[in-house]
Amino acid sequence: MNHSLHIPMDDLALYAIGDLAAEDRGRIAEHLAGCEQCRAEVASFGGDWALVGMSTPEVALPAGARERFLSRVEADAGRAGVVQNQTESLQVAKGPVLVAGGRAPRKPVISWSGWAIAAALLLVAAGLGAQLVETHRRMHELDAKLKQTEEESKRAALVMELMTASQAQHAHLAPAAASRTPSARAVYLASRGALLLDAENLSPVDAGKTYELWILPADGSAPIPAGLFRPDAAGSAHLLLPEIPAGVRAKALGVTIEQAKGATSPTLPIVLAGALDAPGE
Amino acid sequence: MVFSELEPTIETSKGRDFLSDEDLLRRVAERDQSAMAEIFDRYGRLVYSIALRVLKDTAAAEDVMQEIFFRLWQDPTRRGSDRGTLAAWLAVVARNRAVDGLRRRKPTDPVDEVPLAAKGDLAEEVVQRGLMEKLQRQMEKLPAEQHRPIDMAFFEGLTHNEIAERTGLPLGTIKTRIRSGLLSLREAVGL
Repeated sequence: MNHSLHIPMDDLALYAIGDLAAEDRGRIAEHLAGCEQCRAEVASFGGDWALVGMSTPEVALPAGARERFLSRVEADAGRAGVVQNQTESLQVAKGPVLVAGGRAPRKPVISWSGWAIAAALLLVAAGLGAQLVETHRRMHELDAKLKQTEEESKRAALVMELMTASQAQHAHLAPAAASRTPSARAVYLASRGALLLDAENLSPVDAGKTYELWILPADGSAPIPAGLFRPDAAGSAHLLLPEIPAGVRAKALGVTIEQAKGATSPTLPIVLAGALDAPGE
Repeated sequence: MVFSELEPTIETSKGRDFLSDEDLLRRVAERDQSAMAEIFDRYGRLVYSIALRVLKDTAAAEDVMQEIFFRLWQDPTRRGSDRGTLAAWLAVVARNRAVDGLRRRKPTDPVDEVPLAAKGDLAEEVVQRGLMEKLQRQMEKLPAEQHRPIDMAFFEGLTHNEIAERTGLPLGTIKTRIRSGLLSLREAVGL
């Protein structure tokens, strides 16, 4: 991506408050992924919008709003098993309570029958609350599963696109040096930032090391890390849709051996390298 | 001495220890209800006021407020580390959730994910109300040509396209006025 072409400040100010069409948002998000300067500008404008919000003259809360909120929190805490208040209540039921400062606890003014009614009401409320929580929990689970399915579906669609796109580039990666057993094949779709690598006959690497794939941009800028992988016992390794920026026009791919956490720039020697063919070839 | 022991507590005019927002959020993560109550006391009115200004409906505004704070209680880590101060984050989330309600759009637009630059310790100043009064004065001082589109964008939830339609001004002019107004506010407040 050409970072010399930054997003106009006017658009960054609107992006910070979500006021752009989805298409424009996607374009800007793509740029932001690789541009620290624009990210900082968005953060600044986001802070400015927050200032606008904080300039609102405050009005009083509706009567009982605080109590309603705290009751909800208390009910949730109770259901979650954090029952500090309940513990205190139990202590009251069992006998005298030691109070900081040595003051004796105030004598209950409600009769035992009153406590029994209150306890019964609490049990009913707790039962209803528990049902509500269970419903919420299931909704959250379903929501999470739906999101996961959507994500998997998106990835599957992208893999299909990667494998069939006429604009996809292909490369055959062979050892940069003389020996030749290891090799890899890769498919790269610059417009989507999608990449697939299938390697075989790779030598094992030490426990603290890993193979790292690099994209070599066509404009000669610094190689972009494109994912870590380790071969299995047979020397095979696969890399599917690593997180890489979209829109990077690349001329070649390379593989190096790096420390296990990966590197920000490749460490020589390059163990596998291959030029990408032209899109659509 | 461990690092946490170096974190300051602030003595307020009321003479009691004043926990920072981050301290409170840590306690909320440990399910401390009193810490959540303190956060609510600090920012409940801010969130409610913003929601009310957007929605112009007290019941709907309270719903927004209750939901925001309850979600914070359930997951105090949902405000990422790059989301600025708690006050700033709450102000933006309040606006976004209220606009969601106004437009009945799915509350899934990732607007809350936009990072917010932390501009000084807004939280402490907000608590003292000094900054908020200063902001109100500065907003009033902005030229109407900047103030109005910012108001329309933030509190009425209008897009710049809609603002351009309503005002009859070119899109580019609206964009520029919004950006200039924000920069003026930033400079005036000195953050």
